[in-house]
Amino acid sequence: MKQTTQTIGERISLTVDPNDNVATLLDSAETLRRAAGMDISPAIPFGHKFALIPIPRGAQIIKYGVIIGTATADIAAGEHVHVHNIA
Amino acid sequence: MSITSPEIGNGYLRQDGRIGLRNHVVALSTVALTDRVTERAVDHVPSALLLAPRWERGVRGRDASLQEHAVHAIANHPNTGAILAVTHDRRAADDLALALTNCGRPFEIVTLMGSGGYDTAIDIAVHALQRLTAQMQHTPRAPLRLADLTVALECGGSDASSATCANPAIGRFVDTLIAAGGTAIVSETAEFIGSDPVIHAQSESPSIAQAILACLEAEEAMMRADGTDYRGVNPTRENIEAGLSTLIEKTMGAVCKIGTSKFVGCLAFAQKPVSTGLYFMDTPFFSPVSLSGMVLSGAQVTLFAMGVYNPSGMPLAPTIKICGNPQTLSDWGAEIDVNVAGLIGGIVTLDMAAVAITDKLAALCAGSITHAERRGEGQLILPRTMPAL
Repeated sequence: MKQTTQTIGERISLTVDPNDNVATLLDSAETLRRAAGMDISPAIPFGHKFALIPIPRGAQIIKYGVIIGTATADIAAGEHVHVHNIA
Repeated sequence: MSITSPEIGNGYLRQDGRIGLRNHVVALSTVALTDRVTERAVDHVPSALLLAPRWERGVRGRDASLQEHAVHAIANHPNTGAILAVTHDRRAADDLALALTNCGRPFEIVTLMGSGGYDTAIDIAVHALQRLTAQMQHTPRAPLRLADLTVALECGGSDASSATCANPAIGRFVDTLIAAGGTAIVSETAEFIGSDPVIHAQSESPSIAQAILACLEAEEAMMRADGTDYRGVNPTRENIEAGLSTLIEKTMGAVCKIGTSKFVGCLAFAQKPVSTGLYFMDTPFFSPVSLSGMVLSGAQVTLFAMGVYNPSGMPLAPTIKICGNPQTLSDWGAEIDVNVAGLIGGIVTLDMAAVAITDKLAALCAGSITHAERRGEGQLILPRTMPAL
């Protein structure tokens, strides 16, 4: 299994496959928002996912390069991706 | 095995040629009726390792065979230096005597009903444990190399840090272990659901891949037949709280702990590997159960990737808790054996993390204990497949 670690800012690290449409937050949302220039909700906790691009309802959620679920609602870029909007 | 396999310390040589990382005097209660009296005896000989797994009578078929197999597996485990088996009545004691005769280490059997009173039973068990402890001092020592090790791979309290730190660190160590001629076992069938491409790519032969995939298919069929939405069961509520949304997401984070090696076989619960290399074992996902299966099959040590804290461990094998979650390390740092949080910021490389695991193994050989051992944490739990009579 290949893992690509992308470091943004000082110590933020996201493990992503090039095909992923979600990324994992491994530092505070505020730090990431500043560093990445994306509108990430500050309420998303450590270890949770956000959408890298807009994901329409019914589209596949891809992490580690594999389909981990399907969007049950339209998800905006930067929005929290979890059990409330994927299955 | 390869003479180039790195030596990690001094172990305990068993009659069958295997090397123990520990030299336990095991106090095994073989039926729930004697769990308490066994525990009372161990109170007086605290260096003994208590295993009181609440075994029932009236279990049937595979469940009955598994209990018998477990007695044999514990008595013949490389970490067992001597064993006291406690049981309720004479007939059960006769069966135990047969089971233990060829275990190749000192053993004694105590029968509660044959003891003539509760206090006497405790006394008899205490004296047996003391005799066994004395006899065990003569256990021969031998170098323990990576090639001598069977390592159980486990994860618990999984979160995003497990997938980015602890599991990949274990995967890198497993690459070293297998290259040195050692053995690793990974289990928890439910946690492999969705990993078919990995199973195909990382099996020595199509028939091995098929055997593993058949376990996954049976698991999925069982879940479908129940007609239940298992989200909340697995991923567990704590996994979901930690950010994992689906079982496949959890799977992909867990699977990387096998590293880049290929599976050489698929084992049933507690089945002993027939060669060195990487094995899959078909087990339930609850960590104390899956660990029991892997340790009963002969694993001398467990590598446990932890996201949020989880106290699981099968006590016969030391459990090395490996964690990369900064919050867990802050709150539960006193329970963590190897800190791999440096992987998040790139301060630590996977190679460095793998070396830290090898260093911890060497320290355990040299006499240091894991935090789980210090706490007396861990469980021996067998799966139940049929209703008891």
